[in-house]
Amino acid sequence: MIEVNNLRKEFKKTIKDPGLKGSIKSLFHPKTETIAAVKDISFEIADGEILGFIGPNGAGKSTVIKMLTGILTPTSGTCTINGKNPTHNRKNYVREIGVVFGQRTQLWWDLPLRETYGVLKEIYEVPDDKFKERMEFLNEVLELEDFITSPVRTLSLGQRMRADIAASLLHSPKVLFLDEPTIGLDVVVKHNIRNAIEYINKKEKTTVILTTHDLADIEMLANRIVMIDKGSNVFDGTISELKSKYGQIRELNFDTSDAKAREKLAYVKQFKTKKEDIIVEQEGNMVKVRFDSSIVPVSEMLSYTLGKIKVNDISVKDADIEEIIARLYKHEVG
Amino acid sequence: MSMDLIQLFKAYAKTGIKTRFQYHLDSFLLSLAVFVREASSIFGVYFLLLKFDTLNDWNIKEIFFMFSILSATYSLFIMFFMVFRDFPDWIKHGDFDRILLRPRGIFVQMILNGADWVAALSHGCISILMFILSANSVGIRWNAGSIFYYLVTMISGTVIQGAIFVFFSAFNFYFSKNHGIKEFVFWKSRRFATFPVSIYGGVVQNILMFVIPFAFVNYFPAQYLLRKSDMAAYPEYYMYLSPVIAIVGFTLAYVFWRFSLRYYQS
Repeated sequence: MIEVNNLRKEFKKTIKDPGLKGSIKSLFHPKTETIAAVKDISFEIADGEILGFIGPNGAGKSTVIKMLTGILTPTSGTCTINGKNPTHNRKNYVREIGVVFGQRTQLWWDLPLRETYGVLKEIYEVPDDKFKERMEFLNEVLELEDFITSPVRTLSLGQRMRADIAASLLHSPKVLFLDEPTIGLDVVVKHNIRNAIEYINKKEKTTVILTTHDLADIEMLANRIVMIDKGSNVFDGTISELKSKYGQIRELNFDTSDAKAREKLAYVKQFKTKKEDIIVEQEGNMVKVRFDSSIVPVSEMLSYTLGKIKVNDISVKDADIEEIIARLYKHEVG
Repeated sequence: MSMDLIQLFKAYAKTGIKTRFQYHLDSFLLSLAVFVREASSIFGVYFLLLKFDTLNDWNIKEIFFMFSILSATYSLFIMFFMVFRDFPDWIKHGDFDRILLRPRGIFVQMILNGADWVAALSHGCISILMFILSANSVGIRWNAGSIFYYLVTMISGTVIQGAIFVFFSAFNFYFSKNHGIKEFVFWKSRRFATFPVSIYGGVVQNILMFVIPFAFVNYFPAQYLLRKSDMAAYPEYYMYLSPVIAIVGFTLAYVFWRFSLRYYQS
């Protein structure tokens, strides 16, 4: 059980006037400005849950993750994992967690991959028999065998990510933090990594906190989403809740060879007065009309448009999560 | 020291040395360069002493002996504390975050992980060379007492230099940029410590004794073993002060460092 209560982090920034005079002045009378990167964040995560932690760039995501992993000390508020607090007892706390930063590696760059696991074994004091068993399991899930004797610097990005995930799971943590675990990977490798994460979560009941910009990661893995923006919670709930709350967006695809009909469709925007919620895009013979079905029901939209024009074909699509979140980030809904 | 700490030390040392061997030519050239630089400064001292015979009653052998203490402690220092010199890089590359994520003491990890064996080697060679050249011809009677004093000197000298770097590196929690002040202060002081402190003016002397206490790394310990006449200018107990300064200095630096950690911005 992870509890995050009213987490807040302020940074002091020194403001310097330009020029040498400014530099000297700031040396003696430093002017500082306090910026709250994280204002007030609270949520809970149950054991074995996979939580998608998302937000636009600069929302304070990585600051929250760094507080949750004990790297940064919160200005106020607390986070605890099974009652353990990183500020009071860092060593005990970090034994419970494994962390992968997708953009950085924790592996010993110049040495064969195996050496990294050897050092981690000593750092986490994993007994010999447990270590052997664990390596067998990780090898089975993440298929490390092929490159375990290669120097880390020669691994491909996908291999490195698998190796990194294995490294953070060596000590059997209860909670796994994954920060951009699929960044820069091709579709097949992404898929494999997601499968591995899902398998480990199912098999070992490992709680996973996933930060990513790839919403397909979230859609495939997460049971729940916490979204933050400007240092505060924006949304906390399941994906279906997110969809039912903001996702009444529907997309109608009209296929028509009649140029006049396509032109007419552009005027759909004026349908009911909430025109900002209706987006019309044209692409060849296709016209896409996107709108909020809680304001304009799909049936009404269909009878309105089909009464005016002739079409070859028509399809109705649910908005995908990417669409919803893009709108949330741009503050178009909510 | 508990068993598991020794295991950890072994694991880190193994990876450290293996990493160095990945680039053996590079490591070799680096050691050679350091060796040549240090040797050239010794030649500088040598030619100077050819002119003066003695400096404040210190002859060349005695200065070499004092220098051997400086390089020996320095080589131990870079083995264990080098990481504090490179600390801004550690912060920048996220290596320090990684340390905070691991269930071992922060200092223990930094010291074990940062140990630079190759750089330590060249200074170690210089110090052994200087020691062999001087130790038997400067009138020291090597018995249990003086050997014990020498060993204590090694440890306190290493810890004093470590304390200086730990103290300065704590500022990196507040200012992410490395201004190079600590290098400047440290290297200048170390240069001064090549010669007996008594030859300098009051300001430099006071800095070397009370601010950046290099005098207690090699000068006063060498005085205990050599008993030169210029010791008369200082209280007798200064010769026994090095361990105290090491313990107090390191404790202060450590407390300040731990206090500053809460301002870490990652």
